[in-house]
Parts: sequence; C-alpha cells; structure tokens
Amino acid sequence: MSFISMQHIEKSFKGNVVLKDVSLEVNKGEVISIIGPSGSGKSTFLRCLGQLETIDKGTIMVDGLCLVKTGADGKAVYADKKTQRALQIRMGMVFQQFNLFPHMTVLENILIAPKMVKGMKEADILPIAERLLKKVGLWDKRDEYPSRLSGGQKQRVAIARALAMNPDIMLFDEPTSALDPELTGEVLRTIQQLAEENMTMIIVTHEMAFAKQVADKVLFMADGLIQEEGRPEEVFDHPQSPRTQAFLQSML
Amino acid sequence: MEYLAQIVPVMAEGLKVTVSLFCVVLVLSIPGGMILAMIRMSKLRVLARIVAIYVYIMRGTPLMLQLLFIYYGLPFIPYIGIQFDDATAAIVAFVMNYAAYLCEVFRGGIQSIPKGQYEGAKVLGFTYFQTMRKIIIPQVIKCVLPPLANETINLLKDTSLVYVLAMNDILRIMRGIVQRDFDTSAFFVAGVFYLLMTFVLTRVFSYLEKRYAVYDE
Repeated sequence: MSFISMQHIEKSFKGNVVLKDVSLEVNKGEVISIIGPSGSGKSTFLRCLGQLETIDKGTIMVDGLCLVKTGADGKAVYADKKTQRALQIRMGMVFQQFNLFPHMTVLENILIAPKMVKGMKEADILPIAERLLKKVGLWDKRDEYPSRLSGGQKQRVAIARALAMNPDIMLFDEPTSALDPELTGEVLRTIQQLAEENMTMIIVTHEMAFAKQVADKVLFMADGLIQEEGRPEEVFDHPQSPRTQAFLQSML
Repeated sequence: MEYLAQIVPVMAEGLKVTVSLFCVVLVLSIPGGMILAMIRMSKLRVLARIVAIYVYIMRGTPLMLQLLFIYYGLPFIPYIGIQFDDATAAIVAFVMNYAAYLCEVFRGGIQSIPKGQYEGAKVLGFTYFQTMRKIIIPQVIKCVLPPLANETINLLKDTSLVYVLAMNDILRIMRGIVQRDFDTSAFFVAGVFYLLMTFVLTRVFSYLEKRYAVYDE
C-alpha cells in the first residue's frame, strides 16, 4: 500500500466546487509536482492533505493511518483530534508567503515548534537547528529578524523550520511564486537537495523546468480535476490531453 | 509659595485616590477587554452579538451617565437593586466602559494578524492555545500599543469624573480649595499633577514601543 493515499477528494467553498474527484497515491521517497493554471484547485488539494482545509468527501490515509474517510451518509468523517495532530506533525509545509513568525529571530523560528510541540529541550534542538541552518546556508543569519532577510532567505528559513520537526513528508505550496526571479534558484536548489535525500514531497509550482527536473511524477490539474499524470517526460514532452497541451503551450 | 506648600500635600491625598482608581481599572479592564474581543470574534454567534450590543451601549452613552446610573440608579431597579459604595460603583462603571473600548482595540489588533500566521503555526502542530500565546498575542501587543496608550491616558483623565460621586480625587479636592480660598493656584497644581502622570505614562509606552520595535512586520 502506498505511503500517502488520497482517494476521490471532493471539496467546495460555499457552492463553488474546487475539487471534483481527485485521487493521488504517493510512495515513500517519491517527489510529486502538481502544475496547472490558477484556480485549478492544486493548492486546495495540497492544503487538504496539510489539514488546512477540510474535505467534503473522500479518503486520506497516511502511512496506514486514516485521517478522514467517507462515512455511511456520504460525508467525510475525520479521525479524532489526537490522530489529526499526530499526522499534522509528520507533515512539514512551506507556503508561498513564508509565514515566518516576525517577532522571533531566525533561530527562534526554528526552535519554537520542537520546543512547544514536541517538548524537546533547547540543548537537544540547538545542534539540529545549527545543522539545518547550515544546510540552507543561513547559520550566520540566525540572530536576524525575518524582516531583514530577502524573500529567498525567508523561504529557506521556512524550509529549515519545517524540517526541524523532522517530518516524513514535505508539502510545498508555490514556494517560489512570491520571489523575485533571481531568488528562485536558491530555494529550488534547497528543495532539489531534499529530493536527493529521498524526502517524500508534494510540490505545487509554476516552475515548469524545475517540476520536470525534480519530480518522479507530474500531475496536471485544471477545473478541479487531474487532467493528466505521469512521468515528467511523458507529461511535458508528450502530453495527451488537449488541456495539458494548451497549458504547456501558454507557458512557453 | 507658602500657600502652595499648604495646598500641595492636601491635593496629593487626592492623587492617591486618582492613582489607585486608575490602576485598579486598568488591571481589570485589559483582560476584560481581551476576553470580550475573543468572544466577539468567536463562532458563538449569540454571545458575539450580545458583546457587540454591549460595546455599542458602552460607547454610545456618556461615561458620566453610566457612572451616575450605577451609583444612583441601580438601587432602584426592581429585583436587582444593588447599592454599591462610591469606590466600588466607580470601579464597576469604569471597568465596564473601558473593557468595551479595549475590546475594540484588541479586536482590531487580532484581526490585523494575517491568516498565514495561524496556518504557519498549525502545520507545525501548535494547538490553538499555543498559537495564541506564542504567536498571535505577542504580535497583537505590538500593534495595539499606540491605541492602548491613547486609552490609558484617557482613562487617567476620565477618573476625574468620580467627583460626582463625592470621591475625594484631585479634582474634587481642588474644587474645594478654590471655593474656600478664592485662589486659582489649585487649578495649576491639579494641571501639573495630571501632566506629571501622563508624562510617566507616555514614557512607559514609548519604552514599550521601542522594545517591540526590534522587529518590523
């Protein structure tokens, strides 16, 4: 059985259907890229897995644990709070707008969650924080406040912050969309590095070249449905669906 | 000069009344306002509506009217009929009024925190309570400091309204002295007392603002 299984997810916002019937299977260590036009539901789909949205219908299983399944009345039934939280902690999420905590320094941003949520001692987290900040190349910025960092640096701190919780899965919601073009590279390299370390990742992105290069599987979403999925070279070089063809044409 | 030396200690007695009323009201109305703000923004529709109406009444009627009503009016209300002594009546009226104003200050502050802060905390596994305590409230404090300084200085000056309840605050003692001696010096002494107190408050708030200014939004 796959590591993450999302089956027949349906979601609407006040009558506006965003996800019609979306399914996805992810194996451990696999990197999935989700591409598609704005409003296609790709971010919403990711946010459902990250528990930032609740689904109306469907099943989500992670590592054999059931987060939500469709009940007898056809509506989604969520697991108890404890299971929800346990699964939450196993997923790291990185946002388009970084969402760093502005009143804390870079280092405090990294330390706070392991301390508060896992109850770890500062002495035990510090070496982890040091390793992660060195990995994203920002150890020398540890005492700065986020407002003093560039967008690319903020996003790398956000990635380190998520990794500090030692997640099994990383979710990226358009991690480079708020960045100046010359800053996207440093963030993409960090994500690339995680891919090489076999981190399980789902990446919603507009960076086609990156999606093609990093992903094991690419999903093209439009109108709340997966229009096409497959290996990157299949989707990008030989798209079958007219929607995918039109979209990739427009991206050139 | 001799005259001043004579009236200043008498008026300083009034200062005690003013300062203690100010402190008690401030200490009670800040958490009161915070709780009201949380209820007003909660999903408890009926309670939120009641708080909104409460805030409307408290902001829409003169504080003097509220003070007089609680002291002179409440004893005559059927079934309730509570008679407070003057200090208690003053505290109750001021806290009720200021909690309503502070409710709006805190509501504005909490609403100014972007949704992304809650989401960032949630995906890291924070509980709602942890999110509020460590992420939201510290940022709210920073952005409510300027309006809070305003309300605090207003409160200090508003405490002078208690002279209608025959409480011997600075202003009532001042009036007594002026009427007794036909000398206007007491007006100036009272003014200086208030200026000194607002000076301290201004300094406290600018210190706090500086401390919170180490980070920008």
